[in-house]
Amino acid sequence: MARIPSTSRRALLFGTAAVSTGALLTACTSNEPKNKAQAADNAAPVADDKPGKQVTIGFAGPQADHGWLNAINDNAKSRAEEYSDVTLEITEGANDTAAQIGQIETLINKKVDVLVVLPADGKALTQVGLKAMRAGIPVVNLDRIFNSPQAYRCWIGGDNYGMGLNAGTYIGEQLKDKKNAKVVELAGLDNLELTQQRTKGFDDALKNYPNIKKVARQAADFTVESGQAKMAQLLQAQSKFDALWNHDDDQGVGALRAIDQAGRDDFLMVGGAGAKSAMDAIKAGNSVLKATVLYPPTMAASAIDLARALGQGKGVGGLAEFEIPTSLTLYSAVVTKDNVDQYLPTGFI
Amino acid sequence: MAPQPPLLTMSGITKSFPGVRALDGVDLEVQAGEVHCLLGQNGAGKSTLIKVLAGAHQPDSGEITWRDEPVTLGSPIAAMRLGIATIYQELDLIEGLSVAENVFLGHEPTSAGFVVRGSAARTATAELLKRLGHPEIDPTRLVGDLSAAQQQIVSMARALSHEVRLIVMDEPSAALDPEEVDNLFRIVGDLTADGVAVIYISHRLEEIRRIGDRVTVLKEGRSVAGGLPAKSTPTHEVVALMTGRNVEYVFPERPEAGFAAGREPVLTVEGLTRRGEFAPVDLELRPGEIVGLAGLVGSGRSEILETIYGARKPDGGRVLVDGTPLRPGSVRAAVRAGIGLAPEERKAQGLLMLESVSSNVSVSTLSRFARAGWLDRRAERAAAHQAVRELSLRPDNPDAAIRTLSGGNQQKAVLARWLLRGCKVLLLDEPTRGVDIGARAELYAVIRRLADEGLAVLLVSSEVPEVLGLADRVLVLREGSVVHTADARELDEHRVLDLVMEGSLTP
Amino acid sequence: MTQPATAAQQEAPTSAAESAGTQESSRRLGLRWDVRSLSLLGVLAVLVAVGGITAPDEFLATSNLQLVLTQASVIGVVTVGMTFVITSGGIDLSVGAIVALASVWATTVATQEFGFAGILFTAVIVGVGCGLVNGLLIAYGRMVPFIATLAMLASARGLALQITDGSTQIVSVESVLDLGARDAYILGIPPLVLIFAAVTVIGWLLLNRTTFGRRTVAVGGNAEAARLAGIDVRRQRLYLYLLSGLCCGIAAFMLIVLAGSGQNTNGNLYELDAIAAAIIGGTLLSGGRGTVIGSVLGVLIFTTITNIFALNNLETAVQQIAKGAIIVAAVLVQRRSLHGDA
Repeated sequence: MARIPSTSRRALLFGTAAVSTGALLTACTSNEPKNKAQAADNAAPVADDKPGKQVTIGFAGPQADHGWLNAINDNAKSRAEEYSDVTLEITEGANDTAAQIGQIETLINKKVDVLVVLPADGKALTQVGLKAMRAGIPVVNLDRIFNSPQAYRCWIGGDNYGMGLNAGTYIGEQLKDKKNAKVVELAGLDNLELTQQRTKGFDDALKNYPNIKKVARQAADFTVESGQAKMAQLLQAQSKFDALWNHDDDQGVGALRAIDQAGRDDFLMVGGAGAKSAMDAIKAGNSVLKATVLYPPTMAASAIDLARALGQGKGVGGLAEFEIPTSLTLYSAVVTKDNVDQYLPTGFI
Repeated sequence: MAPQPPLLTMSGITKSFPGVRALDGVDLEVQAGEVHCLLGQNGAGKSTLIKVLAGAHQPDSGEITWRDEPVTLGSPIAAMRLGIATIYQELDLIEGLSVAENVFLGHEPTSAGFVVRGSAARTATAELLKRLGHPEIDPTRLVGDLSAAQQQIVSMARALSHEVRLIVMDEPSAALDPEEVDNLFRIVGDLTADGVAVIYISHRLEEIRRIGDRVTVLKEGRSVAGGLPAKSTPTHEVVALMTGRNVEYVFPERPEAGFAAGREPVLTVEGLTRRGEFAPVDLELRPGEIVGLAGLVGSGRSEILETIYGARKPDGGRVLVDGTPLRPGSVRAAVRAGIGLAPEERKAQGLLMLESVSSNVSVSTLSRFARAGWLDRRAERAAAHQAVRELSLRPDNPDAAIRTLSGGNQQKAVLARWLLRGCKVLLLDEPTRGVDIGARAELYAVIRRLADEGLAVLLVSSEVPEVLGLADRVLVLREGSVVHTADARELDEHRVLDLVMEGSLTP
Repeated sequence: MTQPATAAQQEAPTSAAESAGTQESSRRLGLRWDVRSLSLLGVLAVLVAVGGITAPDEFLATSNLQLVLTQASVIGVVTVGMTFVITSGGIDLSVGAIVALASVWATTVATQEFGFAGILFTAVIVGVGCGLVNGLLIAYGRMVPFIATLAMLASARGLALQITDGSTQIVSVESVLDLGARDAYILGIPPLVLIFAAVTVIGWLLLNRTTFGRRTVAVGGNAEAARLAGIDVRRQRLYLYLLSGLCCGIAAFMLIVLAGSGQNTNGNLYELDAIAAAIIGGTLLSGGRGTVIGSVLGVLIFTTITNIFALNNLETAVQQIAKGAIIVAAVLVQRRSLHGDA
C-alpha cells in the first residue's frame, strides 16, 4: 500500500547523493547497470525497445489524492521500469504551486536530462518550465498546459472538449429516435477550466440532435461524497430523463450509489475518465452505466516514451518526422460493452 | 478563648509565585462559631491565603490543622469535603447558567450518577434563597441577568449548599447597599449561632467592630498580629499594624504650597462620572502641579484616570484641556490634546515587550519620523535617545531590548514616550509598581522635574506614603467618591487610611 | 422578605423579568427555545415556502424530505459533537479529517473481511482514538485547541491519503450497503436519519440534563470559576474531544453507508460547515452557551438551501454566495438578540 512514501524515501536518498557529486549520481542510481550499451545505434532515428543512451528523467506531478492522478504516477513509474536505459527521478507530489516549483528547480539543479511535468496549475508553473528549457533541459508538459509554447518542447495531454463531444455524440446516437429526449449533466469541479471545456464539448455535440434537450446540470467536486450528494438532488429534481453524463468516474461511484438508493433505472449513464470500477460495471452490464469516455492516464507512459526519445535524440516510430511533434492531443475513446476488454487493463483504481 | 480546640489552625504558611513571595509565614487560628476578621492592605496576602484555604493554591510550606487533625487541601473538592466554603470577591459565577445550576455546580443532585435532577436542585435553591432573605430571586433565571448584589446572594447560597463548618467571605459587603449589609449580618449571625465559623474580610472597620469577634492582621505576607479582640482594639493600633513600615522613602523637594494657584488650569474635570465606578468628580490641574489620588483598590482611582484618558466612556461630565472640551470616550482626542497615560499594568498595557527602547519611546510619535509612510529610523532613534537621556534611563542605549530593563527604567521609557510627544498632562497609574526601592527615589525625582518643567501630573498610587510624599495636593477616594481634598502636607498616612476605611475623620 | 419559596417554583417570576417570561418557563421545561432558535425556525419556514413555490412538485414530495434529512444526517452528527466542544470554549478543526481517516480505515480490504461489525467498529474506534489524542494534547499537553486540532487535521488527512494511495475504496459488504437502500427504511424513515435523530436526542439530553452538560457549559463560561467549584476542568476537556471524535466515527460509518465507499477526500471542509451550523444555531464561539437544537436547525437550513438550489438547477457559485450571506445574516440576528436580552 505504501508506494508513495517508499518512492519518496528513495528520491530523498538519491537527492543526498546528488548534492555530493553530480557525476556520481548516474553511477549510483542506475537501477540495472548490466546493459550499459552506449549510443551505438545513433544512426537509427527512431526510439525503440532496444537499450540506448542512459537518460535520467525528472518527473514532477501533483499530489495523488485522486484515482486518476494516482494512475498517472503509476503509469510513469512502471513505464520507466521497462527501460533499462531510463532512470526516473520522481518527486513527491504537490498540490501547492510554490512547493512544486521548488521540486522542479531541484530537478533542474540536479541536471536531469529531460523533465516531465504535470503542473498543479499550468499557468502558474510556466516560468519554471521556461527556466528548465533555458537551462537546456527539454520539458515534456503533461496534460495541464503551460502558458507559453517556449516553456515546453512537447505537450501531451487529454482532450477535455473532445471528451464532452464524444460523450454527447454517443448519447445523441443512442437517443436519436426518441422524441423530446431529456439529458442531465453531473459536472466536475466548476472552478476548473477543464470542466468548462467538457461541458462546452457536450453542449456542442447535443446541438446536432434537435430532439434532445439538456434539462439540468449540477457540479460536484470529483469526490465520491459530492457525487452522491449532487446526484441525489438531481434525481429528486428530475423525475424523468433519458440520459446522464457524469464527468468523472470517481465521483461516479457516489452518483451510482445515489441512483441505486433512489431505485432508478429508467435512463442510460455515460461516465468519464475511465476508472476500473466503471469499466467493470460496463462489462457486467447490470447497471445504468453503459459507457465511459476516456481521459487516458496512459498518457504518462507515453510522456516517458517521448522523454526517452528526446533524451536520446531520436524521433518516434510510425511517423516520417525526424523530430517528435510539439503537441500530442489524445483521443477520448468511448468505452462500451463491445470494446471494454481492450481498455480494461488501463482502467485505474 | 474557649476550652475546645480550634476548628482551624494554619501555621507558618508560605507561598511564592514567580518573582513574588505572596505569603511569608502566616499563622491563623479560627474557633467554631466565631467571626474572625482578616485585615491588611492591598497586596498583604489576604487573597492568596483564602485561595490556600479553598484548596485552589497549594502552600509551599506550613501546616494546616482541621479539628485537631493535620490536613492537606489538595484541591477545591478536598476543601469542600471538609466543609470549607469560599465566597470570592471577584464573583465566580457562570453567567450562562441559571441560579440553581450555579448553586449546585460541581455537586448537582443526580439520579444514576449523572442525570441532573433539576427540580430537586431548584427546590433546594429556593430554600437557600429564602433562608438568605431573597426569596424573590427565581432559581431558573440566568445569573447573567441578575444585579451584582443578587449575584452576591447566589454566591452565598452556593457556599451554604454544602455542609459547611467554615465560610470564607472576601469583602462580601463591597457590592451591597446598607439594607443588604444588614441582611448579610443577620445571616452571619444565624450561621455562627449554628456553630459555623466565618472568616470575614473587609476594609470597613465599622463592620468589623459590629460583627467581628477577633482580628488577624496581615502585612506584606506575614501575620503581624493574631486574635486581637475586634471590638476593643483601638483603630490607631490596627492601622499602625497594617501600615508599619521599615522602608524610608526619599522624596524630592516640593515647591511652596499654593505656588500654582495663579496659573490657568491645563486640565479641568467637571462632574465626570461612571455608574457603578465613581460619583461625579471635579478637579483642576495646573502646570507644574502634582495631584495625587489616594484610595483602595475598587475606590475608582484607576477608573477615573482611564476615563479622563478616554479609554472609558463617561456617563456624565466632561474633561477640558486648556478650556477646550474633549470628545468623551476617545483616546485619540485625549492624546491629541496633550494627555499621556502611564498605565497600571505596564507590561500588558504600556510596553511592546519584544521591541527596543527606541521603538517603545517613539511609538506615539511615529508620524513625525515618517515621510509617505517610510520611517526615518535614524531620526527616530536619535529623538528617542535624546528623550531617554533626559530621564537618565539606564542603559544609555536606545537599541536595548525593553524586556531586559529593570522596572524603574521601563517606567522611564513610558515617560520618555510622552516627553517626546510633548504632552501637557501626564496621568500616572501606580508608577512605582514593580520598581525596587532604590530606583523609586530616582523615579520620584524625574516626575518632580517634569512637573517643574511645566507638566501637570495626576498620580494614582495604592501606597499612601508615595502619594503624600510626591503630590502637592491629595484627593482621598472612598467607594467612588472624593471624601476629602487637602494639601499633601496637611495629611499623614494614618489619617488617609482612616479616611479611606471609615469615610470620616476620627480624632 | 418572607414570601414562600414555592413561588419561584410554580408561579411566574415576580421580578422585573416579565419580558423574559416565555424564555423562563421554557427553560423550566429544559427547552432552551430562545429568540435565536425561534428566528432559525422562521428562516427554515421561509426556505420551505421558497422551495414549495419554486419547485412545488419536487420539493414537497416525501422523497425530498427523506433526501434532505439524509443529506443532513452525516454533517449533523459531526455538528452535535462540535457543539459540545464550542460550548466548552474550544474548537475542533480536525472533524473532517477524522471522518476521512475513519472512513478509509474502515473500508480497507482487510477491514471489510470482518463485515458489518468490522466496518462499524473500526470507524468508531478510529474516531475515538483521534479524539483521545486531541483531548490529551489539549487537556494535559496544554496545547491551544486551534493548534492541536489543526495538527490532527493535517496528520489525519495525510494518513488517509497514505492508506488509500488516492484511490476510491469500494465497499462490497452487502449488509452495510443495504442500510442505505430504500428497503431499509423504517416507517419511511431512512436508518441514517434515525441515527442522526438518536444522536441529536442523546446530545440534547447530555447537554441539558446531565452533570456532563452542566460542566461543559461551566468550563466554557468561566474555566477558573469551574475549577474553583470543584470541577476537574482538564478531564472534562479530554472527554469533550473524545465525544467529538466519537461523533466523527459515527459520521464516518454513515458516510460509508451513504457513498458505498471510503475515500481520502471524504469530509471535505466539514469543520467549517459544522462550526458555521453551530454558530448560526446560537452556540457562542467564545463558549459558555450551547444549543444542540439550534445546531441541528443550522444544519437543516444549510441542507435545505442546497436542496432548493439543486432542484431549481442553479449554479454552485450562487449556492456558495447564498451560504455566506445566510451565515452573516444569522450572526447579525444573533448579536442583536444577545444585546436585546443582556
